[in-house]
Amino acid sequence: MSSVVFQLTMRQLLGRGRTLLMLALSLVPLLLAVIVRLASPADYDHQDFVANAIYSSFVVTLILPLVALVYGTAVLGAEIEDGTAVYVLSKPIPRVQIVLAKLAASWLATSVTVGGCALLAALVGIAGASDDGMLLGFTVGIVLGALAYSALFVFLSVLTSRALIAGLAYVFIWEGLINGLFDGTRLLSVRHYTLGIADAFTTVSDRVFEAELSPTTAVVAMALLAGLATWGAVRRLQRFEIGETT
Amino acid sequence: MSTIAAGPSPDATIELVNASRWYGNIVAVNDISFALGPGITGLLGPNGAGKSTILHMLSGFLKPSNGDVRILGQPAWQNVALYHQLGLVPEREAVYSFLTGTEFVELSARLHRLPDPAGAARKAIAAVEMGFAADRATGGYSKGMKQRIKVAAALVHDPEVLLLDEPFNGADPRQRIQMMALFRSLAAEGRTLVFSSHILEEVERLAENVLVIVAGRLAASGDFREIRKLMTDRPHTFTLRTSDNRKVASTLIGDPSVFGVELDDDRVTVRTNQFAAFTSSISRLAQAGGITLYELRPTDESLESVFSYLVNR
Repeated sequence: MSSVVFQLTMRQLLGRGRTLLMLALSLVPLLLAVIVRLASPADYDHQDFVANAIYSSFVVTLILPLVALVYGTAVLGAEIEDGTAVYVLSKPIPRVQIVLAKLAASWLATSVTVGGCALLAALVGIAGASDDGMLLGFTVGIVLGALAYSALFVFLSVLTSRALIAGLAYVFIWEGLINGLFDGTRLLSVRHYTLGIADAFTTVSDRVFEAELSPTTAVVAMALLAGLATWGAVRRLQRFEIGETT
Repeated sequence: MSTIAAGPSPDATIELVNASRWYGNIVAVNDISFALGPGITGLLGPNGAGKSTILHMLSGFLKPSNGDVRILGQPAWQNVALYHQLGLVPEREAVYSFLTGTEFVELSARLHRLPDPAGAARKAIAAVEMGFAADRATGGYSKGMKQRIKVAAALVHDPEVLLLDEPFNGADPRQRIQMMALFRSLAAEGRTLVFSSHILEEVERLAENVLVIVAGRLAASGDFREIRKLMTDRPHTFTLRTSDNRKVASTLIGDPSVFGVELDDDRVTVRTNQFAAFTSSISRLAQAGGITLYELRPTDESLESVFSYLVNR
């Protein structure tokens, strides 16, 4: 991995308004947790609220893929789009090092933003009660899910100039709709990998939270997807051509 | 060396052998061959002629659909090691706007893993005379300043071959003169510089050798003076308005530099293939005949018409 490319990319990501926007989006579950805690409903179940309302429904389903999509398509795709990618690509650096640096930057930014904010929300939600490994489990799941999403979206960004649309289609149509209709398609769902990995660390009852994929299946499928997407991005970048308008 | 040959040459630093590039049904570059050595070569042609496609193939950013493109004897396509000896100044204005000039050039030096990136950046920035703005963010630079900082970033690793796509875009006259002097000194050190331009005067002032590209084809190549002569001595058409059009027409028909005269109501249309001879004889003839010249206007002086003549000759 090229550390120079990684530092440059982090500076690009963090120095722009999009980071504030992603942070604001990631803080929505914290806001929700604070409101619910202040309201103190009579039937409040700490574990159920954290596992399902905060993590499953909100963070893993919506915020993690959206933040990963924005960062994943920005780290390389935005540079290709605005023409600055040529300053990195015209250097004697193997393309694999460039892709790994871009992937690492997207992974780090997504993990810290989403994982950190989700952990804060969960801490408020659990309010000192026992979490039965949920906080650790979901944090690990989010960090690994961020890697898989980042790999997928970096690949999409070198594959097509409409990576954002393709990514949204994956998140909302594939994961949001098709995964709910056909069980087998969950094997190609980063959302289900994330939940499966989180489940490996939790000891809460199945009534509160149970993932559709086993942890082993989730880890193997996630590793395969992330590996293939990274390999695809490297191959694509090795054959990258500047168009007449680029 | 500064030579241009029609085919491969063992001494060439840059070689295109029957190189073509097409996008679907559109042919951007059509079966072009040339070999270049150290010195400055200008790629001249109208917008959309294929100059950028050639530079992109040379810089390894486009795969030739057919033929070979070699830099320093190595294939340009999919050869990142070549960038150790190659510098590229892209046409697009975009730079990392959040970096200062120094950071931008230093970034280039660090990506090249130079032992002293800060020192190399200082030297390159001094070469393009951008020291005064080096600590400012490049996002606030004028177009000409961006061009110069891009040149500095491309020069930082002391490349043997420098490819520049429209390097004078947005540069003011003083900046042009300064950059031309820099390019000449780089060429004098034995480097190979290839730059593209659609402006005849830029190429005339800087390039020792010229490749004229029109509609994806190599229309002319070689010494600029020879090409300029070809351009100048091509058939020209002038329209004249004078105090006595009929007398002018009858006089001009006997002039050896003229091969066609047409008399209309209020003007005379003259065709000549000796530009210099005609323009000097017309004023002499007018003066001798006591005729007043109201207007003398070339009708086909656009660069495109010059280029299309070169293609069709």
